[in-house]
Amino acid sequence: MKTRVYLAMLLLIIPVQASLFGPLSLAGIKPDLSLALVYSIGLLTGPAEAAFAGMAVGLVLDIGSASLIGMNAMTKGLIGLGAGLLGRQVLDIASPMNAVFLSAFSLAESIIIALLLQTFYGEVPFFSLFLERMLPQALYTGVLGTLLLGFISRRKVLGALVRRSLLKE
Amino acid sequence: MLGLFLVLFWLVTYQVKSGRLTFMEKPVLAVSAAFERIVTAPFRFADSAINGYVFLVRAARENERLKQEMDRLRLENSIAGELLGENERLRDLLGFKKLPPLSSVAAQIIAKDASPSSRTITLDKGSGDGVVKDRAVISAGGVIGKVQASLPGSAKVILLTDPGSTIAVRVQRNREEGLLEGKLERCALKYVSYYADIQEGDLLVTSGLDGIFPKGLPVATVVSVSKHEATAFQTVLARPVVRLSRLEEALVLVP
Repeated sequence: MKTRVYLAMLLLIIPVQASLFGPLSLAGIKPDLSLALVYSIGLLTGPAEAAFAGMAVGLVLDIGSASLIGMNAMTKGLIGLGAGLLGRQVLDIASPMNAVFLSAFSLAESIIIALLLQTFYGEVPFFSLFLERMLPQALYTGVLGTLLLGFISRRKVLGALVRRSLLKE
Repeated sequence: MLGLFLVLFWLVTYQVKSGRLTFMEKPVLAVSAAFERIVTAPFRFADSAINGYVFLVRAARENERLKQEMDRLRLENSIAGELLGENERLRDLLGFKKLPPLSSVAAQIIAKDASPSSRTITLDKGSGDGVVKDRAVISAGGVIGKVQASLPGSAKVILLTDPGSTIAVRVQRNREEGLLEGKLERCALKYVSYYADIQEGDLLVTSGLDGIFPKGLPVATVVSVSKHEATAFQTVLARPVVRLSRLEEALVLVP
């Protein structure tokens, strides 16, 4: 069951992120569903499993986009690791503090990507990127991701299914 | 796990030197495009229903505006036709090669930006319609990007703001040339001499030197210019003329 859940997740992450979230975009800003997904896996499982799941999700995103293969795998792996550590020590899936942490993770990921691109190619307009894209996207991801997590945690059947399938074994 | 992170970092740096790996690109495009069609179908249906029926009231006003627009464009077209004729006669006189006529395939955008580190869109037309790798993709306003990979029913387009995108351009005002590279939300004009006259507001158009885009298409507007005495070049940032976040359709130029 657990393998099937992860396979479905890897299969659906690009189409859902790229198309279903299109209608949810505000002034061209879209929430990062893949980040919210890796974050929730981190809270539900643990640092090691979430880091591997994050790497797998990131790798699929890298292959399916035009990005350098490994770039998203690295950042999403780090997010999984961080969320796993948070979930073990501080937070649960229903906490409203998730909005803050999701926004912080989203911002951290965007900054890491911008810094890597600056190192490799140069001339990344960091401040305009920060104001026009990184910050709004981080806030939007934080709000929408928390609503999604809240929805999952309130839906007992769905929540139980997700938990059971991820925690099994 | 640390080892895995190091391997991924090495993989990224390797591609910076040797070019992006296209491992598994087409199978992933096939799977994602099929799902994207299914996922977006209800939204596209709802959108067409709303545009077709609910907003019918606006049609009369819109029709009137379009008629006026058409009158203006007819006038401009007749002037352009005159200039085109004159241009062709002069080219004949000078013995210049004839420019090939442009034809295009209209496509709908079915998906956008799956990854935060790249800027791509997916089109609902593919190799079966003549949409193949390295074809120019434009909209009414100007250049959007180029086709990166295609399958019979879908194609992935790399936008001009993607870090992997490079377009040969020139400044329309004074014909200074450079390469426009994607920098996520903006673009940077590379290899512009320190002494070149580039100003904010300058329009960058395609130079045709990359063999992908025909000459003269609007690409971006210069938003900042800075010079550093330590380098032989200046830093020029530009904003695309097309609002890439609001795109719904695109035209793919085919021979």
